[in-house]
Amino acid sequence: MRRRTFLTTLSAAAGVLCTAPAIAAARHYSLDTTQSTVGFETDFGPDKITGSMPVIRADLAIDFRNLAASSVSVALDATAARASFPFAAQALKGPRVLDAATYPSVTFESRAVRREGDEAGIDGLLTIRGVTRPATLHAAIYRQAGTDPGDLSRLTIHLTGALRRSDFGATGWSDLVGDEVRIRIVARIAQVA
Amino acid sequence: MAAPRAGFGLPTRVLHWVMAFGILGTFALGAYVARMEVGLGNLWLFGLHKTIGAVLLALAMARIVWHGIAPPPGPLPGPPEWQMTLARAAHRALYALMLGVPVSGWARASASGLDVVIFGRLTLPAIAPASPAVEDALALLHRGLAWGFLAVILLHVAGALKRAIGARDGTLRRMLRG
Repeated sequence: MRRRTFLTTLSAAAGVLCTAPAIAAARHYSLDTTQSTVGFETDFGPDKITGSMPVIRADLAIDFRNLAASSVSVALDATAARASFPFAAQALKGPRVLDAATYPSVTFESRAVRREGDEAGIDGLLTIRGVTRPATLHAAIYRQAGTDPGDLSRLTIHLTGALRRSDFGATGWSDLVGDEVRIRIVARIAQVA
Repeated sequence: MAAPRAGFGLPTRVLHWVMAFGILGTFALGAYVARMEVGLGNLWLFGLHKTIGAVLLALAMARIVWHGIAPPPGPLPGPPEWQMTLARAAHRALYALMLGVPVSGWARASASGLDVVIFGRLTLPAIAPASPAVEDALALLHRGLAWGFLAVILLHVAGALKRAIGARDGTLRRMLRG
């Protein structure tokens, strides 16, 4: 269970490194969009529809000493959303679900980041179809393969959460497709400052 | 110009029976897909229903063109006038519904805003605006026309059986054997 202890290790590492004042401030990261996925899953009768959305922009700042000082701002390209079969992708982008022609992006802006044991809870504002609602993502931080323990320059974050699409007016095909949409994000990030 | 025939030619008979089975089969399929729990495993049945419907629409148009080229013989005499009138009305309704049912289904599928794909690859043009309200209205129309079609088919079958079993006047036989 490398993850279970990793945030603790990071805190310790940050604590050790804290003698340098710059370390205490939030570190800024860029997202490796080619190695990251913003995935979702919803129920479709007895099955699941899965899909993904490309990231347009991601601003990440993580303060390992004081998680509350961390922030995340992400924009996704709804017009390029993918789903596990062609009809689902068309339905997803169409006017009854994301209405990507009118609302080309989906955004998430963090408002509060708090520690949840070895994980972090990120409360923020999620905007879909131009409708903004509070949403919470749970983050687990891993170190990437091939990096040293305590190396904070490259990290992988798993983010999970769920939303009810009806909260955002994305009600199309509600007789066939579930209301709850589960979000699974794998973000591979590299420190920039 | 050949003398008017009393029987039906082979193309007419083939069209009649292929379409008869196709219409009843796709009616049953349509009733099934409208009620089934939709999932990945049975999504293709919608495509099959659309494909059969599109083929039947094409066959209906071919049939109308064919009747223009080779007019079918008139009805065999015998029944009272009101029954002949009813049979004529039923035939007109059958042809109208052979066009109306698939076109309403195509329009309904278009109104969903999703591509109307037949044979798993061919996308038909949309013939109705993408709108949930329009889709609901067209779904009701498609369903109503399909059940109306079934009712007229039953009337048509009842008339044919009445003449085959009651009058034994060769009306059904000429559609089977020419």
